[in-house]
Amino acid sequence: MAIHLKPVDVAVVGLGAAGGVAVLPLCRAGLKVAGIEAGAWMDPHKDFKPDEIHNNIRRMVTTGDKIKREAPTIRHSPTGPARRGAPSPMMNAVGGSSIHYQAQSWRLKPWDFKTVTEVTRRYGKSYIPQGSTVEDWPIGYDDLEPYYDITEREVGVSGKAGNIKGTIDKEGNIFEGPRQREYPMPHLRSCDYLDHMKKAAREMGWNPFHGPAAINSVPYDGRGACAYHGYCQAGGCHLQAKNSTCFSTIPKAQRTKNLTIFDRAQVTRIVANANGKVTGVSYIAGGKEYFQPAKAVLVGSYTYESVRLLLLSKSKAYPNGLGNNKGQVGRHYFGHWQSGTSALFPMDLNIWYGAYQAQAMMIDEWADDEFDHTGLGFIGGASLGVYTETHPIAAASGSTWGQVPLNWGSQWKRWIHENAGRTARAYVQANSFPYETTFLDLDPAVKDPLGDPVIRVTTMNRENERRALMYAQGKMVEWFKAAGATMATNPDFDPDGPALSTHAYGGTRMGDNPETSVVDKWGFSHEAPNLGMLGGSVFGTSGARNPTLTIQALAWRTAEHLAKNWKSITA
Amino acid sequence: MIATAAASALIPVGAIRCAAQNPNQPRSLTPAQRRTTEMLVDRIIPADELGPGALECGAANFIDFQLADYLAPEKDAWLAGLNALDVFAMERQGATFADLAADKRDAVLLALTDNGAPANLQTFFNIARAYTMQGTFGDPHYGGNIGGKGWDIIRYPGARLATSADMQSMDKAAEPVRRSAWGNE
Repeated sequence: MAIHLKPVDVAVVGLGAAGGVAVLPLCRAGLKVAGIEAGAWMDPHKDFKPDEIHNNIRRMVTTGDKIKREAPTIRHSPTGPARRGAPSPMMNAVGGSSIHYQAQSWRLKPWDFKTVTEVTRRYGKSYIPQGSTVEDWPIGYDDLEPYYDITEREVGVSGKAGNIKGTIDKEGNIFEGPRQREYPMPHLRSCDYLDHMKKAAREMGWNPFHGPAAINSVPYDGRGACAYHGYCQAGGCHLQAKNSTCFSTIPKAQRTKNLTIFDRAQVTRIVANANGKVTGVSYIAGGKEYFQPAKAVLVGSYTYESVRLLLLSKSKAYPNGLGNNKGQVGRHYFGHWQSGTSALFPMDLNIWYGAYQAQAMMIDEWADDEFDHTGLGFIGGASLGVYTETHPIAAASGSTWGQVPLNWGSQWKRWIHENAGRTARAYVQANSFPYETTFLDLDPAVKDPLGDPVIRVTTMNRENERRALMYAQGKMVEWFKAAGATMATNPDFDPDGPALSTHAYGGTRMGDNPETSVVDKWGFSHEAPNLGMLGGSVFGTSGARNPTLTIQALAWRTAEHLAKNWKSITA
Repeated sequence: MIATAAASALIPVGAIRCAAQNPNQPRSLTPAQRRTTEMLVDRIIPADELGPGALECGAANFIDFQLADYLAPEKDAWLAGLNALDVFAMERQGATFADLAADKRDAVLLALTDNGAPANLQTFFNIARAYTMQGTFGDPHYGGNIGGKGWDIIRYPGARLATSADMQSMDKAAEPVRRSAWGNE
């Protein structure tokens, strides 16, 4: 028998980037919140090290125990067999993947929310990618702007505005949607290499700018500034200058005394009554089963976990899974298309240190709809970014660009002596969309140690995104060459696209129509009125940039909506 | 809500101390296995006019320690690989790998990275190369990269807890530091 706990107002499943933000407005509104997290607290002094073997080779800060046990399966056909993939690079811990993320903190663009309307208006309906299930979001950029503003301040984001209420500043992103005010902190430090790339971009007539990041460029909110030591990627911040939710919003929520954290507690089911309302969550901790009653439940786990949890939570009211009476849970899933173009320069770049993709020079000319797509055969594009932080094992193990015959021995050793510090990488992220043939469901054969099926990822046929990425990548290669690179890669991509993604979108899409979405414009289930979904699973388009700030702004908005409409939602 | 002037809690670089080898560290290899391992890493990154190679940097030490530790589940595969390498060396050069001169060991490695070589040996070579890279360029905490000597090979200025703006200058590299991130050795 499960141990019944004292009821709370809200159970939040997962205390990562999304749940770790949502708890703050809930607690400030005076609601009693149980934060239930499968992972543990990490210790910045013990667990976060400038050590490539720890972070990047052994992935001690990027792969949680729970996600290892329930690693999804993957297939590239709607009927074929699926095989077990590597564990998703996400974390089970208080703070979740916001511990190791690159902390780029973008707002999506107005175009991302109204892609169908805008593409149809400018180019005609035939330009919507074939087989895509893309819809306009039920909200626009203006609806989310106030929440972007709140989360930029409560989480802590460094950056340079390019558009404040329509006033354009060329030091920032001139293509961004209008903001009500400047970032709370100036952009992160530049360096010679980024300045060099900025100059080259300006000479091409482009508008380079420092990307926004949830890393303190100056002391902020009681914590210190970034020290640019160069072990940000896949690692936690020993200085707590990266604004992981375990350092930013979660401690603030704890100070209200309204948050109880249950860590190392794996939620296995969300329970619903015969009337279709959720009544709480079941979890396992220390080998014992518990039931946490709650008047409302917010699910803030990762996309694969959240979709799986709904599909596993079957009841009389929801025989096919919670909130899935229309068969929409798991549909409209898509991974984010990204490329890792790299270049070889004839001089030392000295980008060993830095803050990975947060200390970056960005270009937005080739993203979204910032250029004319007439006759190009695709919609969308990609943001381009160059950045710092190079780790020694990776630098020594990298491509030798065909300049030496072997990857061992004296000749190779001389090559890496000269060139290990002369290779740069780019980050090219494409606008990605949902498709009929790309979805999540429960694997019929593979189970976790508890006997529950794992998630199966089906992904295929996304030619639009392949073309958009190739086009933008070509621009990236031009930028590298203009900056003096002697070599630059321009690889092609599989049109099936990424399966497992660190940016996993959809599965519980937000929409006005219950026939094509799972949650409403506030993030609440169309079917279970007191169940809210947080995270990338509610996205209908990806944008050409990292999702976390949008996840956090939406999480804040969903939580605030719950607090403000408490009686009607929980009635 | 907005920035409060808390002092930046920088940990001084001096807090990360030089790595020293722990004599009680458990090892995994017999003397013969250790010698073959040494002769192998020695050819992947040889000592030459540029300076020390993987052997001098402690890559074999890394493998010996880590196969008794984090990499223990890989130990059987490593030992099977060493055996297969000896069989192959005997076939091609008439002696076990460790008994061959440097140029003959190079010839064996060249032959096994050819397409005609047994697939399991090619896999073993890729693993050996990966371990050698980790044991030469990784943190000294794991038993390799003794004194941070491996970082000189690629001119990596070393792991620090904080870096100033001039340490990212393109004209001038930062003064090298050769310390472990772990500070408890």
